[in-house]
Amino acid sequence: MEQSASPLTSDEIRSLVRPDHVHRRAYADAAVFQLEQERIFGRLWIYVAHESQLKMPGDFVRTRLAAFEVLVTRHTDGNIYMLQNRCPHRGARICMVDRGNAKVFSCPYHAWSFRPDGSLDSVPHRKSYPEAFRLDDPQNHMQRVGRVAVYRGFVFATLNKNPEPLVHHLGQMTEIIDNLVDRAPAGEVEIADSSFALEYRGNWKLHLENAADIFHPSFVHNSSVAPARRAPANASILDQDQTREMLLANGFGPAEWEGIQLNGLSGGHAFMTNIYNKGVLASQDTDPVAARYRAALTERLGPERVARVLAMNRFNNIIYPNLVVNAQYQQMRVTVPVSVDRTIVHIHCFRLKGAPDEMFHRAVRFLTTLGSPMSMIFSDDVEMLERCQQGLASDVGPWIDFSRGIGMDRHGPDGSISGAASEMPMRVQFEAWVNYLTAEAV
Amino acid sequence: MLDYETQRQIELFLFEEARLLDAGKFAEWLKLYEPQGIYWMPSQSGQTDPLNVASIVYEDHAILSIRVQRLLEARALVLTPMPRTTHLVSNIEAQEAEGGDFTATAAFICVEHQADKQKIFSGQHTYQLARKDDSFRIKMKRVALLNSDGVHSPMAVPL
Repeated sequence: MEQSASPLTSDEIRSLVRPDHVHRRAYADAAVFQLEQERIFGRLWIYVAHESQLKMPGDFVRTRLAAFEVLVTRHTDGNIYMLQNRCPHRGARICMVDRGNAKVFSCPYHAWSFRPDGSLDSVPHRKSYPEAFRLDDPQNHMQRVGRVAVYRGFVFATLNKNPEPLVHHLGQMTEIIDNLVDRAPAGEVEIADSSFALEYRGNWKLHLENAADIFHPSFVHNSSVAPARRAPANASILDQDQTREMLLANGFGPAEWEGIQLNGLSGGHAFMTNIYNKGVLASQDTDPVAARYRAALTERLGPERVARVLAMNRFNNIIYPNLVVNAQYQQMRVTVPVSVDRTIVHIHCFRLKGAPDEMFHRAVRFLTTLGSPMSMIFSDDVEMLERCQQGLASDVGPWIDFSRGIGMDRHGPDGSISGAASEMPMRVQFEAWVNYLTAEAV
Repeated sequence: MLDYETQRQIELFLFEEARLLDAGKFAEWLKLYEPQGIYWMPSQSGQTDPLNVASIVYEDHAILSIRVQRLLEARALVLTPMPRTTHLVSNIEAQEAEGGDFTATAAFICVEHQADKQKIFSGQHTYQLARKDDSFRIKMKRVALLNSDGVHSPMAVPL
């Protein structure tokens, strides 16, 4: 890690990205990270919570937004608020759990108590505070930060005082949130209570790039692909072969490199066609669970819409800057940057309300197989992200390459398309990155 | 209370498991499990449900065989260099269970060293053991990590 002497200028930021290369400072310079916190995580719409965690007044989620630790709360007025997790009295952090329900947030130091909208409910021994001290003085409230907007149950927040509407930022990526929610026979998804938090010693962008990289799986995941190939089919009594199929699916070759279509969108978003085509992951007609699920969904949507909803067959859908959604497996990863070389990835799954219980069991299984700290897949990805960060720490040969596929991408008004294991999504991400980091103050 | 000899046999069986893991003899380690044996590492403290609540590991013999082969693969990135471990099991308390089986609980500490990192894992094991000749086979091993719901970095060697 290093610290530049002064804040980076827009010209310096532009000089870090070439059409086919990016300078290592984008990953390793603390001044770049500082600017990202300010202009990307401090200005864009960032996922902070799911409404299923905020059903009742007093429900809250604790998370991070740029440099702030925040509480996202549901107040008795029905609104969602975002509060800095700090007591205005002596500055102590108030809430020390990740989620729950609280009628008031009470600071354990001197017992100032706050309502879920941040307003000060009470202080003990009121008469020892001066005459001018008022409970309704906003200065004595937990500070509201930024603003909140909800898209179909997904709660986003921004510190931007003049943000574009959330749906503008999401753009075409609203389709994937729609698709996840539309897959629920009851028209609603619930985030699972259990999730994983994985930390790696590397820059946050490395995870985002890896999620868009379809070239690496056959190399990075060979140690689980090869044993899965040697293992007998349907040997497990637990999961209808789901784990083995997931491991097998990373055995990419030319058919996958050329067969998976990548889409890159302005704003830095990207998505790809699916990689899992077998077994319980493929929702086959012979699968009784899938049949019951289709029937339940058809009852709500009718056969034509069901066909359309289930036809969306994608794997990673990357909503810039930090959300990866797999709609048909009900999975979501949220990248939280901690410092220039430290990142936490929160990995969640969803329950499709109204779907057979077995569908949720499969989503939970998916979460464990891909995202657990003992995952036979993601642990190897994380190892590579850390090795990249280690390699990028020194200034020798500072330019790294993302030129693969550069002459083969097709560009249209809605973005870029590639069918050839292109690094186009990374080029799209860095084009957006430069735009965000060089945008004037708003 | 269990008779001294059976208690001692169970202790020695748990020590054998720890020794095989420390020696990197993962194929031999898997042989301690029944053909339908399960290795379970919950993600939540007190977790009883492996279907609706995510687990760090919830694998039967068939999936564990893949995991073991991966541990023996030279190309597993997370295993280069191969971590070295010390598995300690202590406070072993065993009881008789139904059908001639036994249950045992044990506190554990595992120190794992790899390259520039040293990690410490700790928690409680719960075993369901079946008699097999003069030894035992594991029907279920539940590994309750102290920090099961915490922030993790990748883990490779079974605890």
